[in-house]
Amino acid sequence: MLLEVRNLHVHYNKVAALKGVSLQVPSGGIVTIIGANGAGKSTTLRSISGLTKPSKGEIHFDGQRIDNLPAEKIVARGIAHVPEGRRIFPDLTVEENLRIGAFLRTDKAKIESDIEDIFQRFPRLKERRTQWARTLSGGEQQMVAIGRALMSGPKLLLLDEPSMGLSPVMVQEMARIVSDIAERGVPVVLVEQNAGLALKLASYAYVLEIGTVAVEGKASDLQTNDHVRRAYLGA
Amino acid sequence: MPDFLLQTVFNASYAASYMALIAVGLVLIFGVMGVINFAHGELYMAGAYAIVFFYVWSGLPFFVAVALGLVFVGCLGILMELTLFRPLRTNPLGGLIASIGFLLILQTLAVLGFGLRNQNVPPVSQGRITVGGAFLTYERLYVIIATIGLLTALYFFLRKSKFGWALRACAQDREAAALQGISINQTARYAMFIGAALAGVAGAMTAPLVAPSPYMGHSVIVTAFIIIIVGGIGSLEGAVVAAVLYAFVHTFVTTFYDGVIANIVGLLLMLAVLVVKPQGLFGVRERA
Ligand SMILES: Nc1ncnc2c1ncn2[C@@H]1O[C@H](COP(=O)(O)OP(=O)(O)OP(=O)(O)O)[C@@H](O)[C@H]1O
Ligand SMILES: [Mg+2]
Repeated sequence: MLLEVRNLHVHYNKVAALKGVSLQVPSGGIVTIIGANGAGKSTTLRSISGLTKPSKGEIHFDGQRIDNLPAEKIVARGIAHVPEGRRIFPDLTVEENLRIGAFLRTDKAKIESDIEDIFQRFPRLKERRTQWARTLSGGEQQMVAIGRALMSGPKLLLLDEPSMGLSPVMVQEMARIVSDIAERGVPVVLVEQNAGLALKLASYAYVLEIGTVAVEGKASDLQTNDHVRRAYLGA
Repeated sequence: MPDFLLQTVFNASYAASYMALIAVGLVLIFGVMGVINFAHGELYMAGAYAIVFFYVWSGLPFFVAVALGLVFVGCLGILMELTLFRPLRTNPLGGLIASIGFLLILQTLAVLGFGLRNQNVPPVSQGRITVGGAFLTYERLYVIIATIGLLTALYFFLRKSKFGWALRACAQDREAAALQGISINQTARYAMFIGAALAGVAGAMTAPLVAPSPYMGHSVIVTAFIIIIVGGIGSLEGAVVAAVLYAFVHTFVTTFYDGVIANIVGLLLMLAVLVVKPQGLFGVRERA
């Protein structure tokens, strides 16, 4: 397994947000975490990338324990996190946002070719490369956030609700982008409220309910699971 | 242009220059650290005393003394970061209060080391440029040139270098910056060095013109606060524009009325800007 989360507990000011979450991510494909508002999806991703410190439990990545490392050391290990709400740098240009994703890298030539690769994937960003990022539309900002994460050359990509606030057309575009990333060899952990979409994209799924894993299984099996259908797919 | 007008423009350009250095440093520190550095006037004072020590007492060439002052005050900035702001990283109000403590320490050290009286710094040059009946001394011209040079260098550092991007990224979203592998501690050291060094250079370059005293920081810190409020807290361009605006208004009113009225007009200028544009001239929206 590329990533293993074991019995993770997180508290915010003594209130438990995660109460023993365990999950595994293989070194290919898409794993999704779905769940209602406040279930603890973002908290799970934030613990993996080091933004939030767990009070109990272990996180292993690539065979090494990482839960005691600060966020800037974890990205160096190869985990890129596109946080909830995108969190691009509004007063950097589009290109500066992308390049800062490669902050820790020193392979100059490969950085240049990766930038070109990002611009090929997202031609709209190329047209807007010198614009302040705050002037972009929501969908374009999401592309910047994903492009910035890819610029670190990650071994694992964490995506927190990439479809949030996007038009239906953009949501489909985003789905295509996420599948494409996984197909090109970067495994993805996808957090989504749009459970139907997430279960279509992913091969394996975890359903979080108030800080614990309520159901897990193959995404295709969960699509037909009664509880999941009633609670998350509106059936 | 009549001579007295040109003379006032020269005087205002000089005042705008060193105030811009001070205000930009203050804004940079606020942006990256999230702390209002009340000791900023005392960093300016420390720069002036570096000239007293290296130039007057040790007899080093003036510009060597300025360079040493820059490094010395920059290191004071790093010291503040390591001892005060880092332990109080999540507590901006605590940082502000700690900076007031640091201000008192620096003042006390200046009194202990150099005494209470004003220091006499011998002139660096007697030269002057004369245009008609107006003149600009070389000493003031050096301040203007140093300011333009340093602020241009800062601009290119922030826009063209990886560490410049890191500084701006940290100022905009610390958590997102950490996710890019940017260390807040390292970035804070850069910001404190640069911000403090700019104030130090302002103090060092103006030392021959102001007769340094341990309490000289008071005179600039209030003005610096007005300038960064007018410019829009957090905006570096705003600080430069507001420094120029304030210095011109203040110098002209001082010349044609008097200094007390000029201070009042300066405050009214701030109020007027805040009424029309509460976030300041170049102010950005509330940060998240
Ligand atoms: N910074 C914080 N301080 C205090 N409590 C928090 C904080 N962040 C999250 N929580 C709480 O932790 C729980 C889990 O929140 P989390 O953001 O992980 O949920 P989520 O599944 O991502 O929800 P959403 O779908 O709304 O994004 C919630 O009860 C939330 O109120
Ligand atoms: Mg969330």
